Amino acid sequence: MRGSVGVAALVVLGLAVWGGALAPHDPSSTVAAPWLAPGGDHLLGTDAAGRDVWSRTLSGGRGIVLTSVLAAVAAGAAGTLGGLVAGWYGGWPDRLLSGTADLLLGVPLLLVALVLAVVLPAPAAVVAGAVCGGAPLTLRVVRDAVRRARRTGYVEAALGRGERTPVLLVREVLPGLAGVATADLGLRFVVALQLAAALGMLGLGAQPPAPDWGLMLRENLAGAALNPPALVAPAAALTVTALVAAAFARGTAERRTRLREPAP
Amino acid sequence: MRTAPRRSRWTRALTSVVRACALLAAVSVAVFAVSDLLPSDAVAVRAGAGATAEQLDAMRAAAGLDAPAHERYARWLAGLVTGDAGTSLVNDRPVAVLVGARLPATLTLAGAALLVAVPLTAVLAWAAGAAPPRARSWTAGAVAGLAAVPQPAFVAGLVALFSVAWGVLPPVSLVRAGGSPLDEPTLLVLPSLALAVPIAAYGAGLLGGALADARALPHVRDAELRGVPRWRIATRHVAPFLLAPALRVLAVSAGALVAATAVVETMFGYQGLGELLVSAIATRDVPVVQAVALLASAVVVAGTAAADAAAALTEPVTA
Repeated sequence: MRGSVGVAALVVLGLAVWGGALAPHDPSSTVAAPWLAPGGDHLLGTDAAGRDVWSRTLSGGRGIVLTSVLAAVAAGAAGTLGGLVAGWYGGWPDRLLSGTADLLLGVPLLLVALVLAVVLPAPAAVVAGAVCGGAPLTLRVVRDAVRRARRTGYVEAALGRGERTPVLLVREVLPGLAGVATADLGLRFVVALQLAAALGMLGLGAQPPAPDWGLMLRENLAGAALNPPALVAPAAALTVTALVAAAFARGTAERRTRLREPAP
Repeated sequence: MRTAPRRSRWTRALTSVVRACALLAAVSVAVFAVSDLLPSDAVAVRAGAGATAEQLDAMRAAAGLDAPAHERYARWLAGLVTGDAGTSLVNDRPVAVLVGARLPATLTLAGAALLVAVPLTAVLAWAAGAAPPRARSWTAGAVAGLAAVPQPAFVAGLVALFSVAWGVLPPVSLVRAGGSPLDEPTLLVLPSLALAVPIAAYGAGLLGGALADARALPHVRDAELRGVPRWRIATRHVAPFLLAPALRVLAVSAGALVAATAVVETMFGYQGLGELLVSAIATRDVPVVQAVALLASAVVVAGTAAADAAAALTEPVTA
């Protein structure tokens, strides 16, 4: 069950990034009349500009998913680093980092990304927004896990052997955090995908005629009655991608709690 | 473990207010800095491409833009406090007038969305945190899934179902000029659902965990074993421990709702503050972006501080 969620997540992500290779038509050029109903040469019909909806759906996830992966990794890395320092040293570094994290959590991340979109290109705004809104959550989780790990026997033993702190953090503490970090990465990805979809839909991301799930929602909302799949296909693609990532994160987190629960 | 010194409730409540003020100051600096990071400033945008460097310098001096950043920040802040948020670069109208014209529409929409979101959050949180075990794990998964769906995709789904497939609700919520959205309440149904459902799912995920924790507290278990009636356990033993998390979840949800109006209003063509913010971003109309972003942040920060302070005052003391 758990393995199948991981496989499904990989398949969906792979399809989102490389699915464009399977596109039967050029996703960016007009190939038929606008708003054709599904059928014949066009599996999902055509959109407002007569472009093939199926080809655009296959190609439209690449930018959005790669940006979200990058944003998730950046947020996870920043949060993990901060959490390691805050949890390990405690004292003023902890107060400074946790205080900053609490402050950042006080501002909605969509607002952060929107204001940044004035000065930055959309992918950079998504990454920055996801880091501002996601890293603080990662920091909290990692900080608490490090505080617990610091009191365990194997870390105390390593401390007693006189290991240097960076070596100890990388060799003894980080491996224990792998599960937390993986589940967390999935959640950061979902949030980044939501941001990227929102900026794309608002016209601040990919520009026409490029294929992009968010932009497709914007282009085809008005004419949805003429060819519903033009609106439903990108919405479904976004939803499925977000759901597998969320299910993966949930599964990883639950497995961790099951494994950990019997221990004192 | 190092134990933090115990602080009184009033100290904690005061701390959250001070922290909110610090955060708002930081946000105002950040929002102001955006205009300085732009490659072309307000004058260059307004003068167009034909202006010479000398003309631009003269215009900057006239507009006070050659002053150092901290002076311009102080002037901007003083203007905001006195209700003068500058003029739009696009249509030269005062920003305060533009914002004032959109504010009632967004307040109406946000109010309608909260009316749906609050009871929905309560029901979903109960299902995810207190229903029988089998139903609980299923609903917790469903709630997490619902919260993961990107907002624009959710809106597209609502439009596809209610407007395209069933044709019962309008896909566009254009309010007549000079009219109020309450003149035609059907226009509010889809936008407020689009705002309320994802946020209720998100809030229920947070609150469901708090509910499960509260039900596992020793005194609740003890009351169950003593045969105290369920309603009495719920109201006397569990509810006091839920008040503080519920207030915090309400504040977080309301904040997310304010931000989400940008997406929902744009998709439904609803003329509110969120739509104003998005169109101002698209045209690089910095004074409007700054004013709306700061106003939204102020609402969110004030809401969070109020919830934190109230939570600190009402939280039961646990040993």
